[in-house]
Amino acid sequence: MTRISRPLAAVFGLSLAATALTACSEGSSTASGDAGSCDPGDVKLVGQVRNESNPYEASWLDGGDAFAESVDLKQERLTYDGDSTKQQEQIRQLLAGDTECLVMNVLPNGDSDTTPIVKGADQAGAYLVTQWNKPADLKPTDYDRWISHITYNGIESGQQIGDALFQAIGGSGGIIALQGVLDTAAAKDRFAGLEAALAENPEVTLLDQQAANFSRAEALDVTKTLLTKHGDSIKGIWAANDDMALGALEALKQAGMKGEVAVVGIDAVPDALTAIEDGTMTATVSSDGAWQGGIGLAIGYCVATGELDMADVSDEDRAFYAEQFLITDENVGDFLTPKTDPSEFECDKVFDRVAGPLS
Amino acid sequence: MTPPAEDTEDTAVVAARPRPRRAVSFRDAGPTAALLVIFVGFAAWSSQFRSIDNVQNIMDAAAVLAVVTCGITFVLMMGSIDLSAAGVMGASALAVALLVENNRNGNDLGLLGIALAVLLGAALGAVSGLALVLLKVPSFMTTLGVSAIGLGLATLMFGGVQPNISDKMLESWATERILGFTYLTWIAAGCVLVGWLIQRYTRLGRYAFAIGGAEEVLALSGVKVAPYKVAVFTFAGAFYGLGGVMVTSQLGAGLVQAGEGYDFSAITAAVVGGTLLTGGRGGVLHSAIGVLLIMVLTNGLVQVGVSPYWQGGVQGLIVVAAVAAAVIPQRRRNQVVK
Repeated sequence: MTRISRPLAAVFGLSLAATALTACSEGSSTASGDAGSCDPGDVKLVGQVRNESNPYEASWLDGGDAFAESVDLKQERLTYDGDSTKQQEQIRQLLAGDTECLVMNVLPNGDSDTTPIVKGADQAGAYLVTQWNKPADLKPTDYDRWISHITYNGIESGQQIGDALFQAIGGSGGIIALQGVLDTAAAKDRFAGLEAALAENPEVTLLDQQAANFSRAEALDVTKTLLTKHGDSIKGIWAANDDMALGALEALKQAGMKGEVAVVGIDAVPDALTAIEDGTMTATVSSDGAWQGGIGLAIGYCVATGELDMADVSDEDRAFYAEQFLITDENVGDFLTPKTDPSEFECDKVFDRVAGPLS
Repeated sequence: MTPPAEDTEDTAVVAARPRPRRAVSFRDAGPTAALLVIFVGFAAWSSQFRSIDNVQNIMDAAAVLAVVTCGITFVLMMGSIDLSAAGVMGASALAVALLVENNRNGNDLGLLGIALAVLLGAALGAVSGLALVLLKVPSFMTTLGVSAIGLGLATLMFGGVQPNISDKMLESWATERILGFTYLTWIAAGCVLVGWLIQRYTRLGRYAFAIGGAEEVLALSGVKVAPYKVAVFTFAGAFYGLGGVMVTSQLGAGLVQAGEGYDFSAITAAVVGGTLLTGGRGGVLHSAIGVLLIMVLTNGLVQVGVSPYWQGGVQGLIVVAAVAAAVIPQRRRNQVVK
């Protein structure tokens, strides 16, 4: 049996790998046809989110359905269970099919998952709108078919609910904060917003901050622990999302302190809205999931059919913070049932909710 | 009929050693000692930690994990692994939330609803067991599959709208107290007791031990192993089902994610408590100690004010140190990684 020396084998293997890689990157863009040449009836709409087991993402897909219905099409609903590999697999399958008039409204699992999706879609010539996650240095303006990236300013929402919380406790006293998964941008930004609000309100003290990982069950346990640690000095609870706020409410209920402590969250899930309506919760912020589900498809549809010319889309509209809404007991009635307004999906209005360019 | 000898997975056949008759032998005192040291350490450090309120808190927080760990312990004793807890709990959480009084439908089955949810858990457990013995799929894969099935069922039942429970009895489990502890904590204590009695005094418990220790020997001596394996998985499934019901009681709503993370925390708790992944050693009481150890640690780190950015790492470090300290008296325990 012949044996090759190990360094030689390594060099051989590396050069093989290099050849394979070059071969891959040589595949030129197969994008066929100019943007905007699709017949409205040929457009294929796809909405992809993590799962349908939470009200927010379920309302996202429902919003997509509502838009699809308004243009006599059907949306393909895809879910990938929060599994990055599965998401990429679904995208690959989609792109392997007919991509000429494919419109995708995608919620990438994490920042790094956006890159392959964008590259794949651009190469296949599919129209793509992404939301929430993307690496900072990846920009839609560098691509032809990645029309827009939509996200929300977490600093702003964290500050908005912080201010609402401070107002509810009368501008002074102790609060505790429940953070999300610490290494996510959403958790970091939202907490930075709280810190900004705290800086403007020196009378309010942050007694403690703990990570409860966006989970209702973890928030319940953490809040119970913090209630024994700080007792009556807690006047308010700031939570980085509504699930944790609801867990905190449950902890207050179990400790017999229901209604004595103000609680705020973000996301506007149905249970939080009900809690705001009956007065147990103070405020939340809505990104309007149903609108998100519709708008991504609407933007793609408008460009695909030529109703919206890519040349008319300003660079600021290609990566932007969308408007979000602070919900308190004053306006909660308007948000109790997630609904979409078809007029917001008209091609000349799809960028009406741009609140500012992505920094 | 000869029992199938080929479905042995871990044939870590060890020579039968004389085992002390006592449930907790001196050799198994390691985790208990670690628990005491950590508890006393935190108590000395923080006056909040040693308050009665906080001790109640720890016990209440430990309740669900204790029940789930109780179930998983039997599977681990057999030398199998069970990753189905998350899915089974999600399914039973949704089932119970839809069967007792809730905001989604007119059901108001009360205790019967709870029983049905636990039965659903048992049924899913039975599926794991049957796939293991009939289809000869390793338990790692069958239970992972069953977890996915459970989550799928839960998502179907969820249907876009979260069911909130309004059943007075189920709600009271998390809020009403006897002797300072919530009903949930007493239910968990009851489960540990029942688990221990089964482990010690029934054929099911003893065979679970024996299958983990030396399945071939058991099979050669004419015992039909397969039915006991199915029974153990079914039994564990029932415990997860109850765990899902308890989470629903705590949160006041049926969540698909009710069991998220419980699969691995339960295995961790069991191993920390001294149940071997290779089977044949440990037991329900060991696991209960493991659960308390984890809970005391989680709570204590918050009480003494360790920054949340450090907690994960610090907790891992202490767990590893505690397990290492506990296994020094017995070199054998390292056999899993040998």
